[in-house]
Amino acid sequence: MVDIQTVQDGSESMRRPEDYPAGLAYDEMFAAEGGTRPHYQLLHNRIRSLGAMELAERQQTLERSFLLQGITFTVYGADSATERIIPTDLFPRIISAPEWAKIEKGLIQRLKALNLFLADIYGAQKIIGDGVVPRDLILGAPSYRRQMQHLYVPHNAYVNVCGSDLIRGEDGEFFVLEDNLRVPSGVSYMLANREAARRTFPGTFRQAGVKPVERYPDLLLATLKSMAGDWRPNPQVVVLTPGVYNSAYYEHAYLARLMGVPLVEGRDLSIHDNLVFMRTTAGLRRVDVIYRRVDDDFIDPLSFRRDSSLGVAGLFNAYRSGNVVICNAPGTGVADDKAVYAFVPSIIKYYLGEEAILPNVKTFLCRIPAELNHTLANLDKLVVKAVGASGGYGMLVGPHASAAERAEFADALKADPENYIAQPTIQLSTAPCLVDGKIEPRHVDLRPFILSGDKVVVTPGALTRVALKRGSLVVNSSQGGGSKDTWVLSDDAPPDSDDELEAGQ
Amino acid sequence: MMLARVADSLYWVGRYVERAEHFSRLASVMLNATLDRTDAGTQAAELARAAIGDREPAADANPFEAARALVLNRERAGGSVVDSLSRARENARQVRDQITTETWERLNLLYLRATDSRAEHEFDANAPDFLAGIIADLHLFKGAADATMSHGEGWRFMVTGVHLERARLIARLLRVCFSGHQGAVLDDHLALVSVLRMACALEPYLRAYTADLNSRYILEFLLFDEDFPRSIRYSTDRMEEHLNRLSRGREIGRGDPARLAGRLNARLAYTDVEDVESTGASAILTAVEAECTAIHQAMFDTFVAYPLEMRLPA
Repeated sequence: MVDIQTVQDGSESMRRPEDYPAGLAYDEMFAAEGGTRPHYQLLHNRIRSLGAMELAERQQTLERSFLLQGITFTVYGADSATERIIPTDLFPRIISAPEWAKIEKGLIQRLKALNLFLADIYGAQKIIGDGVVPRDLILGAPSYRRQMQHLYVPHNAYVNVCGSDLIRGEDGEFFVLEDNLRVPSGVSYMLANREAARRTFPGTFRQAGVKPVERYPDLLLATLKSMAGDWRPNPQVVVLTPGVYNSAYYEHAYLARLMGVPLVEGRDLSIHDNLVFMRTTAGLRRVDVIYRRVDDDFIDPLSFRRDSSLGVAGLFNAYRSGNVVICNAPGTGVADDKAVYAFVPSIIKYYLGEEAILPNVKTFLCRIPAELNHTLANLDKLVVKAVGASGGYGMLVGPHASAAERAEFADALKADPENYIAQPTIQLSTAPCLVDGKIEPRHVDLRPFILSGDKVVVTPGALTRVALKRGSLVVNSSQGGGSKDTWVLSDDAPPDSDDELEAGQ
Repeated sequence: MMLARVADSLYWVGRYVERAEHFSRLASVMLNATLDRTDAGTQAAELARAAIGDREPAADANPFEAARALVLNRERAGGSVVDSLSRARENARQVRDQITTETWERLNLLYLRATDSRAEHEFDANAPDFLAGIIADLHLFKGAADATMSHGEGWRFMVTGVHLERARLIARLLRVCFSGHQGAVLDDHLALVSVLRMACALEPYLRAYTADLNSRYILEFLLFDEDFPRSIRYSTDRMEEHLNRLSRGREIGRGDPARLAGRLNARLAYTDVEDVESTGASAILTAVEAECTAIHQAMFDTFVAYPLEMRLPA
């Protein structure tokens, strides 16, 4: 086993290898001129000291441990269903302390503003009256739930769990690409990846001074409990899942297990006199807080979609009566609408009187004639998205589209401009990944998790999603994306020169 | 306190795991018996097949194929090892938050191995090894559950499932072997050894009765022994114990499963092999199977599908 050199000694020879292509994008590990970025040096050293064989072996161990734990999603084929693991990469993605400090502040600011915004649009609607956000954009959105108007939400915490998608552009700056305010998922991968990385690079992990993410489950539980704190002394919290066939089922069970609360399905709950009960072996038991992993539409067939069997009839009325808390609150989706997104910097300014710490990606609203014209004129450079759609549908990636596709999209744009926004095509930053035994750059994004109840907390870590196809910018797991662990370094940890652990692995 | 659905799933995990183990053992004995090209070997294989409900062990169906189907065929009417493991694992997955990681990983590993595309190949190459591996892993699963899960309500539901299934399966095995179902009295040495093997009872039996093999002692051992974990008496004892704890402090009217289990247990406690011989084994074995069905139903009615009106908080 090669002895690891101290950071200072290693820096001379620490450069981008010849076969690691430098692209247009910002690379997380290597600076543009080829040197290894300081916060990546420990890891780079370690990777170099391990041979290709050893790396492949560790990758295998990693995948096997995921399969064994059942961290899988189900792929439905013609006559059978097979379970696959979400591809996970060996190398952690590392974020330095100053970078993280800015991200953390920015995320807290953003979520505070968005919660105030939700309280406002479901209440007095001052922001609409003051003309900051167009009335029809909010009240006309299908995700605006009139049922939520004038309803008391403790601490104004409409969004208790938020998983924003951040990206890093060519200049190394972080942008917010999307605010996921409905039912964000992926936190179990953050935790599982961390557990795996601790075993894969134990010495490096310890030396680097990585901030812990393991407290997430109890912070989540505290957040959920704080939502009932003022009216039920020891609230019964449950996690509501659509069931074992949901692709995120593993995560639902994982969180319930780590929080030590029951994992319920709609059929386990029933409503009597506007109180929510779960059916236990010893009779009915009152439920106070529901962390629901079911979309708005499906939580209550009486108030939302009538054909849903995943939810509980009467649940929303129990919520309106103040007898139960639903987290996240229904109707938060209106604030992560793609068109409303463009207004978030103004929303932050309106409620907090501050400039946004984390910038938005420049967004053209096609509802505004000048911006529509700009979009039409630059279709070959822009990404155009339908406002109501998600998951990569109804989207045109200008640079990759044919002339015919662009012409077709231009017609759709002109016919219904309100339904579209456009953004410049951004080269997501790249990070080194182990692909078929070789180390190659792949595009990544960043999904940190923010909790908000009586206070707002950001877990120092994130899910880094990886576009596993060379050159691809799509990181969604439904489209061949994978994930990797994310290390947030603490500022006060001096690099430790004690190598015994590392050498002994 | 636990969710009714969760209790039901854990109970079924127990039942399916036990079924998988029993089927593996039957398949193993079946394969082993056919190594002897004697009438006794054929008889033993046929007993095993009768015990798994292959009604007409047709002469043309070869015992290897029958064992293979019992292990690997998911569509086999009456179940198979792979089918039982898949169902156990599916139930466990639905209550993943309730079982420890150690326990879950054992079961998940078993499932992955049994449903792997190489499983058929492994079985064909060395079936006894394959089956021994599965049985050993099932023991690890039960050991992990015992060693890492809290022995509270959920665990009791699971263990009750194990013992109810075990009592049922052993009763059926004994009924097929000793109630004249096959027409002839069982007295061949190899056939008797096979019966004991199917109940995993050979070594404990020898310790209790020495190598004196006869159907009367075997019946006595597998029906009434208080210490052997695969005797029916032992299983009903455990069922009574766990169900008593499960229904403690609850208002349960008629049809209390603990009461049913206690009644069955008492019947076994106050019957001996002379009584059985005078009335024929069939009567008591049929009663055991019927009582197990009644206990199963009573558990469902009491803990899972109870009418809500009776349990609303006042």
